[in-house]
Amino acid sequence: MRNTGGQLFTIEGVAAGLIMLLTVYIVVGTTSLYTPGDTHISDMQLEQMGRDALHMMNIPNSSTVSAESTLQKVIKNNDTSQFSQTFLLFCNNKTGGATDTLKFSADYYYRTDATNTIHKVHFTESRTPTGSEHAMPVTEWVQVDNSFGGDMPADVDDRVQAILVEVLVWRD
Amino acid sequence: MARLNDDAQWIVLMGFMVSFALIFLGIVINQSTLVGQTTAESVLEFPKNDILDARSEILFASKLSSDNITLVQKDVSSLALSRKNAIVSFRVSNSTGGSAYAKTIEIHYNNGVTAYNETTNY
Repeated sequence: MRNTGGQLFTIEGVAAGLIMLLTVYIVVGTTSLYTPGDTHISDMQLEQMGRDALHMMNIPNSSTVSAESTLQKVIKNNDTSQFSQTFLLFCNNKTGGATDTLKFSADYYYRTDATNTIHKVHFTESRTPTGSEHAMPVTEWVQVDNSFGGDMPADVDDRVQAILVEVLVWRD
Repeated sequence: MARLNDDAQWIVLMGFMVSFALIFLGIVINQSTLVGQTTAESVLEFPKNDILDARSEILFASKLSSDNITLVQKDVSSLALSRKNAIVSFRVSNSTGGSAYAKTIEIHYNNGVTAYNETTNY
């Protein structure tokens, strides 16, 4: 005749087994430890922020064909302070209280048609990167008309061209 | 062996259940970091912004004269290949007879993982 006298012992045994399995699971799991910095969530937000700021700068103020965007104008006229001011304004403004602390370093790349080579121009920066920043690159195509009146480097072709603006953005 | 007193079995059993529920909830919270990482990585790897950006530049360039379009085509292709590791090419042609649009634009983007092809008119 069976009785139910050992129920608690059985439950305890099952519980002990589960606890041992759980311990093994946790111990094995600790070999890869994720901290919020590893998880690229802040990278994603930073990239989107930089990209949005650059894109806003590349939208003309009016819809007429000849209207140039801020980004087109600053590249064409080599107006580094205007770029710096506008980009930081878009990146660092908050709804209220203190501003954010994003920093940037901007380059642009262009192609010389005669030699079919690509050249880099260091445009401007809000702080010289030391190399240890955790920076995100954001890019924007800009169509610049250098055929008259521009202030671009001497070997930039005097024509309408697509150049690639590449900005490194990081949080200080 | 002394007689085991099993009067409070249900109370002990409830204690076990509550503790297991807590452990389970702890595991769920633990997983949220991983979920965030997977989502962020997918968003970073998918070149949505690159495609949108290249597309807007191409549509902008398609209004240029045909000589300038050829030059901008080369600019976009070589800069995209060297700086963005992507093959970007486009072609602007006159729409064939009967179309309500004047120009047909073909856009191709491929970075080895994601390919995007589009034919559009204006």
